[in-house]
Amino acid sequence: MTSYIINKKDLKILLDKFLKDFKVYGPIKPGLDSSFDEIKSINDLHLEYKSTIIPPKKFFLPATDTLFEFKIQKGKHEIKEILNDEKFILFGLHPCDVNAILKLDEFFSGKFKDNYYRNRRNNSIIVALNCIQPGENSFCKSMNTGPFLHKGYDILLTDIDTKYLIEIGSDKGKKTIQGLKLNIASKKDLLKKEKKCKSANKKIKKILDPNWLPKLAEENLDHEIWVDLGERGGVAGSFPCLSCGSCSLVCPTCYCYDVYDNIDLSLKKGSRVRELDSCQLLEYGQVALGGNFRKDRKDRIRHWMFCKFGAAAGGKNSSCVGCGRCIRVCPSKIDITKVAKSLGRKK
Amino acid sequence: MMNEYYPFPAIIKEIKKEGFNTKTFILKFKDPKIADMFSWEPGQFMMLSILGVGESAISISDVENDNSINATIRNVGNVTNSIFSLKKGDSLGMRGPYGRGWPLKDIRGKDILIVAGGMGLAPLHGVINHIIKNRKEYGHLEIIYGARTSGDMIFKDEFSKWKKIKNNSFFLTADEITGENPFECKRGLVTSCFPMMKTHHRNAIALVCGPEIMMRFVAKCLVTIGFADKQIYLSLERRMKCGVGKCGHCQIGLKYVCKDGPVFDYSDIKPFIRPL
Repeated sequence: MTSYIINKKDLKILLDKFLKDFKVYGPIKPGLDSSFDEIKSINDLHLEYKSTIIPPKKFFLPATDTLFEFKIQKGKHEIKEILNDEKFILFGLHPCDVNAILKLDEFFSGKFKDNYYRNRRNNSIIVALNCIQPGENSFCKSMNTGPFLHKGYDILLTDIDTKYLIEIGSDKGKKTIQGLKLNIASKKDLLKKEKKCKSANKKIKKILDPNWLPKLAEENLDHEIWVDLGERGGVAGSFPCLSCGSCSLVCPTCYCYDVYDNIDLSLKKGSRVRELDSCQLLEYGQVALGGNFRKDRKDRIRHWMFCKFGAAAGGKNSSCVGCGRCIRVCPSKIDITKVAKSLGRKK
Repeated sequence: MMNEYYPFPAIIKEIKKEGFNTKTFILKFKDPKIADMFSWEPGQFMMLSILGVGESAISISDVENDNSINATIRNVGNVTNSIFSLKKGDSLGMRGPYGRGWPLKDIRGKDILIVAGGMGLAPLHGVINHIIKNRKEYGHLEIIYGARTSGDMIFKDEFSKWKKIKNNSFFLTADEITGENPFECKRGLVTSCFPMMKTHHRNAIALVCGPEIMMRFVAKCLVTIGFADKQIYLSLERRMKCGVGKCGHCQIGLKYVCKDGPVFDYSDIKPFIRPL
């Protein structure tokens, strides 16, 4: 499809067009750190962000999500499905996050379709932004998920100094910018993108071989590292895991959720809610009478690592995209790339 | 759009007491269309829900001719406790069946060894009934059932029927014998019956369900007497929230217990249940 360019100072025109038709969410910087939130004007946008704490999965798989509302009356069975029909644009997503969304798309389709996820996804438009300043924890290059994006976007922006290059990835994207007068990109602009891509690649210091990871998991089920990580002094300069679950919370491909019922104070109505869960929490594997299938911390951290290596039940759909969020938030300084490297090294 | 999480209303047609804090609820979907379409295989499970309390995975112990589902439930948690407060004619939410059951078609012509512990007999109850109905398709049938006390045993009214099955042996064990003992229940663990076992591993398949610690010991003993891992099938228990392989709680290695199981052959899951 055709590529366009827009001057940086004209980005307002593009955003205003989006704001007219849709709710727009994008990176903002309210305090010390950036996060994805509603954008009301160009002044809210913070496109220089490196990463947010919470990934954009929150727009498709919110931390808490009402599935049903129901009335509790003897003999009656009234259940209402609660679907969210808001149409929205996600503006300025980095390639790692778009790739994570593609993984979740795969996970929530297939034989069994999750209406709640798919409904939100169908109502969304992704305006991605290529990452020219990857953060120090990123290893997207290794995971083939960045720093530049090749698929999964409706519209893709690349910062080429004074301008943004606009590439269209879908009919949805094409419709979204219909009516805007945009200049067609020249060959020089496209070359500039190539150059930016190369320089962004060079900035990534963390490296990991993704093809090797599932095998690493298979061979190291009973490796000492899991005891080190769970109970002893940690691995490669980290402290032992605290089972806080932060890594799952910030992981853009962690999809696990709990389901519970809320009851109104009147005892006459209630709702069924799903809430993001983490395999790092003790209750995750607990069944009636107190039995727990993942009681030991070392088993839980191992499971999480294997899941991110693509060697758990979620397969490639829950594997790592290299965004580096878990490395950043871990209070014990556990680094997935270092764990993988240590596994490969010592027996 | 069909919503897989939607709990369909079902009515309690009958409640049977099975023993100490265990009852069999006979449930039928209220919507005749859903009830008629229902098909199952022994070993699968249903998600039962009480609105306002929650949802639980409960195995199907049998299905009657009119497609009413027998769910044998022990009162151990919030949801089961509220199910126990219901009476005949009351309704609850139900969806399913889910999971892969016992490989009944693939094991035709083989000798069958069933080892069950406690509530683990519930998902095997359908297998035993299936074998009784199709007796000629299977070889020797051996049932070894153990429970904490003889009072905890379930399906006791069927024991005399099971004893009379042709080409069959039947052992009962309990850690503690309480009250009368009409079925000559022995004191001990299920594995204590293995020396008396008639099944030879040569043409046999073992179907095992019970607490995981029991299954680990049973699997180890069976392997010692010559069973190959592929000849042993286990039905696992896990925390489950969705039943369709999404919520993640039941993951074991590369599999979901709810979707790829709950019945696995031992070789598939061996590293993850810590073999002895």
